[in-house]
Amino acid sequence: MGNIDFTSPLWADLTPLPTDEGGDHPLAAIAYTEEYATTMSYLRAVMALSEHSPRVLLLTAELIDMNPAHYTVWLYRAETLFALSADLHEELEWLNETALDHQKNYQIWHHRMLIVDRLGESEGEAEFVEQMFERDAKNYHVWSYRQWMVKRFGLWEKGELEFTEGLIRRDVRNNSAWNHRWFVVNGREGEGVEGVEGVKGDEGVREREVGFAKREIGRAPQNLCGWSYLRGVVRKGGMRLGELKEFAGQFAGLDGGEVRSSHALDLMAEILAEEEGGRERAGEALDMLMETYDPVRRNYWEYRKGMLGLPSAAA
Amino acid sequence: MDHTKAVDDATTPPQLDKKRQVKYWTRCVKTLLPFHYIGLDSNRMYMGYFILAALDLLDVLETVCSETERRDFADWIYSCQSVDGGFKMWRGTDFGDQTNDLNRKWDPANVPATYFALVALLVLGDDFKRVKRRETLHWLRKMQRPDGSFGETLVNGQIEGGRDPRYGYCATGARYILRGARSGPLTLDGEDIRDIDVDAFVECVRLAEAFDGGIADQPYNEPHAGYTYCSLGALNFVGRLQKADLRPSQLSSRYGPSNPQEVVRWLVQRQTEHIDPDASIDSDTIGSNRTSKVTDRELENILPNNHGAPPNSEQTPSQTAPPDHSFTSAAAAKSQIRKPSYTPQPSTLPDHDSATTAICAGMNGRVNKTADTCYAWWSGASFHVLGQPKLYNHAAVQNYLLEKTQNPVLGGFGKFPGDAPDLYHSYLGLTALSLVGCEGVKEVDAGMCVSRNAKGRLKGVWERWGVEGSLN
Repeated sequence: MGNIDFTSPLWADLTPLPTDEGGDHPLAAIAYTEEYATTMSYLRAVMALSEHSPRVLLLTAELIDMNPAHYTVWLYRAETLFALSADLHEELEWLNETALDHQKNYQIWHHRMLIVDRLGESEGEAEFVEQMFERDAKNYHVWSYRQWMVKRFGLWEKGELEFTEGLIRRDVRNNSAWNHRWFVVNGREGEGVEGVEGVKGDEGVREREVGFAKREIGRAPQNLCGWSYLRGVVRKGGMRLGELKEFAGQFAGLDGGEVRSSHALDLMAEILAEEEGGRERAGEALDMLMETYDPVRRNYWEYRKGMLGLPSAAA
Repeated sequence: MDHTKAVDDATTPPQLDKKRQVKYWTRCVKTLLPFHYIGLDSNRMYMGYFILAALDLLDVLETVCSETERRDFADWIYSCQSVDGGFKMWRGTDFGDQTNDLNRKWDPANVPATYFALVALLVLGDDFKRVKRRETLHWLRKMQRPDGSFGETLVNGQIEGGRDPRYGYCATGARYILRGARSGPLTLDGEDIRDIDVDAFVECVRLAEAFDGGIADQPYNEPHAGYTYCSLGALNFVGRLQKADLRPSQLSSRYGPSNPQEVVRWLVQRQTEHIDPDASIDSDTIGSNRTSKVTDRELENILPNNHGAPPNSEQTPSQTAPPDHSFTSAAAAKSQIRKPSYTPQPSTLPDHDSATTAICAGMNGRVNKTADTCYAWWSGASFHVLGQPKLYNHAAVQNYLLEKTQNPVLGGFGKFPGDAPDLYHSYLGLTALSLVGCEGVKEVDAGMCVSRNAKGRLKGVWERWGVEGSLN
């Protein structure tokens, strides 16, 4: 049963507009529940009248709960809210519940941006986002929203770096948190503000981020996040990959040494390939990957080995 | 993996249960979809496309559906065409005879619906005579933002929908079908049709490249295999894709991605043996806890006589996680038990890697996520679009899909092992299998996500329209 009683006087003036399926064999037709079919028919009726009224808010909320992917119902709701000068804080409270019920939906977050942008303040938003992350710390829409918040309200220096550090401490394999860190560190480059140039323009930032990545790699050597981040800092910071040779060697001993990370071996192969006379050794590292440490990706390691241009007898 | 099982696998490889797959899709086309699909009501066009394209890939569309049915399907698709060009996802916001200038904005054409409608018409072998080609091309241009990206709908003169490469893929796909890959002005019925801004589009894809080689929806967001595929596919549609066989000196800023080798590096890491969402990195936020779980899970899967052991129960999280040993122990176990005994093969890559036949590894969509049926397509097809189709482990993906996510009772494919099938995963499971040469599925076009022979019909449509150029 739905939450709306369409037999009440509130709806008496409307003639519901049933759907026209368009012929004998519509594609992907769904066995609608009576509740959904009725709600949609009333929605079409008020939309057809371009009505903006409090009952539209009831109706759109009900429909959204059943079909949050409906792409114009959200726009219609937003237009109605603004036309009625409705209480946007109340709207946010409703959105909180809706977001928790429909975690994979995009429209909810777009709508939230519209509302929060109009309110012009982000109070309580960080807390709500935290609540979402407790359920799924990798929810893509929530991370996009977090980035938007940082940009819209200038939260760069308001504990955002520490926030990523906390999440990475909780789960060093949370790539979304690593990615957010990259955004916080580098997202303002090009703004021309002194001290916010990221790893490209600021040596101190570069050193800090290299140190951070190395420390986290020490905690989890087979975690790709740390290695990708480290490579990213080195590339963007204009450093040479070879500067990581000693570090990579700690996790990828050639000549029978201990191998604690396939990613370190991969990096080692790349560093060696760039060295004068290092190609044979790079080939050995790639052999170790394909034969022992990462056989799933054998074709790729073989392809990389092919790119070294070694004489085929030695391959 | 049980040793006996591995031997069995080597002799009788898992197969597509074609009978059940056909049964699944026949049910989808002949009966109403269950009410669980209400949340996808406004995605009807893409579900319709999945149904028709799946029956086509299984080569049964014409035997399962009568000529009348197929004609009615085309009629339904055209009934979703907007008078001003483009298609709508469904008829759910159609006000019929109550439509007026004020309310028609709530019933707008939709970019993904337009691509899916056009492709579905190709699948049906439609003659395209009812397609509002001129209007649709006009409208597509209006769907592009100044930053080069495309939106979903145009309402009140505003481009709605996120800055999302899925829209870019569908918009450039529709443009490709309607005018080919060549850019520049076009004259139709004596009217000049301005093209989309291809340069701006390429730039917007390049800006969304992440620091680790993957591509995101917008700058600084986390890279994602779905967005990566859509970005590469869109570049392919506009003839601005640079493939992974180019030397660094051959790369150009007018093309994308900026560094194809880095995209390949990122894609290669999407293949994963983490296929159980309950033992996954996804749901587990405690580093130390996860470390021990993975070690145990991997050993469970490898050691004989230990099938069906439940995942470890919760362990006490510690503040500072111990070093990760999961890799070393699992690798050691692998080398002892699997004894990979390849003879190195120098220059050419094998079609199917017999030495790793027993490995079961799907693809994920982001770093450290669990494998999921649909990413076998998004990640797998990205390799094909980039011109490096053999750089992932085909046999392992095939094992994953056929043994783990193909539903043994209902047909179709689920998202994760043991999940009930749904339209989306069932279609992308089939297309992903086609990419790795699985028997029983027609050849799929990696760029268009439809059978090659359906795509081939575009040639005839183009000839009639006088579109120059050949199918890419």
